Amino acid sequence: MNRFRNQVNYALSCIKRYKTRTLVILICLIVSASVFSSVAFVKDGLSAQGALSLKYSPDITVQGISAGRQAPLNTSYIGFIQAEAGVSAVVPRVWGYANIGNNLLVILGVDLQNSSFVSAYSHVNVSSIYQSIYPIESGSFLDAQSNNTVVIGKAVADLLGAKVGSILTIVSESNEPKQYTIAGIFNSESGIYNADMILMNINEARSFFKIPNDKVTDLMVYISNVDPANQKSLVNYVAREISDIPNSRVVTKDVLLQAQQTTYGDRAGFFSVVWYVILISVAIIAFNQTVAVGHESKFEVGLLKSLGFSTLDIIKVRLIESAILGTLAAAIGLTIGIIYDAFLGAPVIKDFMMGWATLYPSFSVPLLITPQTLLFVFAITIVPLLFATVIPSWHNATVDPDIAMRGARA
Amino acid sequence: MIETVGLTKIYNQGKKNQVEAITDANLTAESGEITVLVGPSGCGKTTLMSMIGQLLTPTKGKVIVDDENLTAYSDDWKAIFRRNNVGFVFQHINLLPNLNALDNVLVPLLCHDVDPPQYKQTALKLLEKLGLAERASFDVDQLSGGQQQRVAIARALITEPKIIVADEPLTFVDEASAKTITDFFERLKEESKTILISTHATNLAKLADKTYVINDGRLVSSY
Repeated sequence: MNRFRNQVNYALSCIKRYKTRTLVILICLIVSASVFSSVAFVKDGLSAQGALSLKYSPDITVQGISAGRQAPLNTSYIGFIQAEAGVSAVVPRVWGYANIGNNLLVILGVDLQNSSFVSAYSHVNVSSIYQSIYPIESGSFLDAQSNNTVVIGKAVADLLGAKVGSILTIVSESNEPKQYTIAGIFNSESGIYNADMILMNINEARSFFKIPNDKVTDLMVYISNVDPANQKSLVNYVAREISDIPNSRVVTKDVLLQAQQTTYGDRAGFFSVVWYVILISVAIIAFNQTVAVGHESKFEVGLLKSLGFSTLDIIKVRLIESAILGTLAAAIGLTIGIIYDAFLGAPVIKDFMMGWATLYPSFSVPLLITPQTLLFVFAITIVPLLFATVIPSWHNATVDPDIAMRGARA
Repeated sequence: MIETVGLTKIYNQGKKNQVEAITDANLTAESGEITVLVGPSGCGKTTLMSMIGQLLTPTKGKVIVDDENLTAYSDDWKAIFRRNNVGFVFQHINLLPNLNALDNVLVPLLCHDVDPPQYKQTALKLLEKLGLAERASFDVDQLSGGQQQRVAIARALITEPKIIVADEPLTFVDEASAKTITDFFERLKEESKTILISTHATNLAKLADKTYVINDGRLVSSY
């Protein structure tokens, strides 16, 4: 035990004695760990938010297409889709974008009055589903009967300084100012799918966007999950059946999820490339530093061996030294990553990763800090350093002490 | 007792720049005695001392300590042998930079299962005997060559080894330090240690119980 403590103390004294090497390695590793962790936290946060949102999203979304672009869809298809075996609900939606000041916000209208989910046991109101997806922080959810009321996202409330009961004025498609009373505010500050949302009854949205009563932006199709094992094949079956609707696009939840993961994965992939470059640079710098102090280090290894250190003792000292440096760098890098993301709002990374997020007003980037990411950051900062420092020391320790010391002096 | 039998060292064997540094060296060094090796520069003194101290693997021959042939053992075994039995004093002093004198003296204890601070007093006493009590906390870079060599001698003795190998310990040392070191080696003789010294210095050579003369890699005479 004393011997191990002595080796730890000696490793610490080496860190102090080789100040330049220590500083260079620490700076490189800290930059590397902070870049990787800040990107990983945002990427994981976005992916988790996306997955959570899709968990409650419709199994199939049907959109109208005209000249290759999205166009309003006729409501007459609701009955056709509803008739398909396995379909439990078809919920029409009207949505689009509107400007408030210089900010582009999402206006979403849902049919709370006529839609319900039919399961084997009960009817579930659409309103309750929405409330489970987007919980309310203050006020109440939309009342299917009331007009001119909206529920707004947290970012919208922050942008406008609006509270429950405030009047919201938005210029509509027909260039008329429309006034709405704010009934409630969604509570999730980081909910990327409701932060910029203004939710209202479908007829209000139709009026706002000048969409005829027999048209919707899209239809959300929910499939009953009587047998969860066959849910996926049932969804694919229904999607195939309803793809016959002319001038329409049918998108399943799985396709959306894949697209989302690919988008965030690719964007994070760009940063990963940057990160790999940094990491390789770190390994090279660490190795160069080891070589730069190589003569000193070689002499020290020879001297320690002549004083009775075995090869294993020397490797242990270097392992401890690298582990201390790597752990310290990873801890500082992770802390910087967390501060950069959580407190500074991840500038640059946020814009790049979210892309369309520039449309948002003030918005907190969603973060997810997982044990896997933490462990990975520790592993990738410590392991390259171990290779860069332990291998030369091992090499020096396997030659005769006299040769090592003479070589160092040469 | 140390005995070498046919000890030979050839550097770069089989290559164009092959050098036979030591050829067929046979010597003995008794415990409680000072054995001195004298000879001109470049004659192979350091190579022979390194082989005796197990810092250098001989090309041929044996180093026998108390009837045990050390050359037959593994590298790590030799490290443990050095740890427990040998104290080195190098010609080039070889202290660790950016450490103070006291910490340099305690370095050999780091590979022992002991608590070095418990040996602080022993180290300070050694430094005191060598006239460096007031320099214990000095960084070694702040010490003169003679003072550094005295620190190195204290380091060689901190583990109380039974064998002391001192390779030209007075080379980079001033006259005052040379006297302190010479007196110190004389006192060490009384502790029944086996002491091997290579030197040019007449004062140090005078301490010898036995002297070997080496020339061009060969032990040419002894007295």
